[in-house]
Amino acid sequence: MHALAAAPTDDAFPVWLSLRVAFTAMLFVTPIGILLARLQAHARYPGRAFVDALILLPLVLPPSVIGWYLAVGLGTRGTIGAWLERWFDVRLIWTPAGAAVAAGTVALPLLVKTAQAALEAVPRDLERVGQSLGLGPLALFFRVSLPSAWPGIAVGLILAFARAIGEFGATLMFAGNTPGRTNTMPLEIYAAFQAGEDDRAFLYVMLLTSISLGVVFFATVLAGRRRSA
Amino acid sequence: MKDAALEARFQLEVGRGEDAFRLEAELALDRGVLVLFGPSGSGKSLTVQALAGLVRPVRGHIRLGSRTLFDSDARTHVPAHDRRIGYVPQNHGLFPFCDVSANVAFGLPRRDRRRDHPRVRALLEELKLEHLAHARPATLSGGERQRVALARALAVEPALLLLDEPFASIDADGRAEVRDVLRATLERHGTPAVFVTHDRDEAASLGRRIVRFERGRTLPAAPPTVLGARRRVRLRGRAGERTAGDAPGRSVVRLEGVELELPDDLAADLDGALELDLDARHGDAPEDEPA
Repeated sequence: MHALAAAPTDDAFPVWLSLRVAFTAMLFVTPIGILLARLQAHARYPGRAFVDALILLPLVLPPSVIGWYLAVGLGTRGTIGAWLERWFDVRLIWTPAGAAVAAGTVALPLLVKTAQAALEAVPRDLERVGQSLGLGPLALFFRVSLPSAWPGIAVGLILAFARAIGEFGATLMFAGNTPGRTNTMPLEIYAAFQAGEDDRAFLYVMLLTSISLGVVFFATVLAGRRRSA
Repeated sequence: MKDAALEARFQLEVGRGEDAFRLEAELALDRGVLVLFGPSGSGKSLTVQALAGLVRPVRGHIRLGSRTLFDSDARTHVPAHDRRIGYVPQNHGLFPFCDVSANVAFGLPRRDRRRDHPRVRALLEELKLEHLAHARPATLSGGERQRVALARALAVEPALLLLDEPFASIDADGRAEVRDVLRATLERHGTPAVFVTHDRDEAASLGRRIVRFERGRTLPAAPPTVLGARRRVRLRGRAGERTAGDAPGRSVVRLEGVELELPDDLAADLDGALELDLDARHGDAPEDEPA
């Protein structure tokens, strides 16, 4: 514990790392999440309910379980992990990229569920008119459905970001807590608290609280404006 | 738009669960307006959606001019976005995220999709929407929305226009005006249209060709009974409610969608209340008899 506290890392690094990890996570969560939301909102196929449950799973599973799956699947000895390393020389476990994968995994359900509800609420008539005006499926989605559902999707993106930046358990399991490499704010709070560095812990607690509060407050305002519009 | 003839005959699944029934629809239109008339839940809206390609009939065919849009035997189903059929839903379906001119330009191909495209400007002017070009749909009145929806549909020069209860969201005072605008616009563009309503008066005022939806099938409306008079005054309309008359053996029939065709000199004298003594013959058209 002492070694960890004395590690060469300045106080700003975890803040910068957390932001970078959360934004990287959003980079792949956004397209995947919106695609899944689109699929679940309109497509009717066998096993749809099961996919629904699968999407929700990271929301209810203990983060340690998610971390375990990630470590086993994407670790150096995991099927996908070994494949990534062999063909792309990419290693996720114990890396900042791994932290982004962990953060993205827990953030995904929040985006999918919110975006799905927003897409389901798009008046069918708008999509019918779009089709009658000559829009094919792709153009219809990007020019009618997405702009109509945008306020709701934006709320989903914000919530997912807030969840990603606060990820702790799965990140610890999968990316570890290497000072100067994978010590995001939530991990740093734990380490500092354990080491009795209450001031450092307090600093990150306040920072995370204000970021999350600000972000969620913004989402609430956005959602409220959408209802009154 | 020369070969605009619509010819359709198909079966459609209407409703869900216990109320579901199969509708047998038969429609034909050369030009002008075809009115689909019937109570709500009779499948009118679904019928126009089938014409637009938004709903797939169980079986049958839909032909528009020389094109076959749907044929269950040949397994043809042209998707909605390739049909060139304009669709104006009941609530007009304006895109709330763009202004009036962008709504009108929405269906134009990418290179023409400008708010100041000549066709967009011409339609805004024609439908008296120029001053609203930058307004958001949420700020418009029912009549204005309807004009925007009409302009947007006409901008892509459709081969057929479908209007589902276009006056439902317009208050009674504004209806006559909106109806005139619609009728004049359709005539100017020569676009054949199919028009859905559950209102008798509306049905009669918009089209000569009416199809009635009843008990799961479509029926062509009965041809009018011709009343002949000495000076060739013709009263056209549909017989409605019948009540007892003033004298025994007499009935009063309420006429709906009434039109009077008469010589000019008689028409010039018409003013206010009107009573006609008609020498009626049932059935075939009367000969002109000198007064």
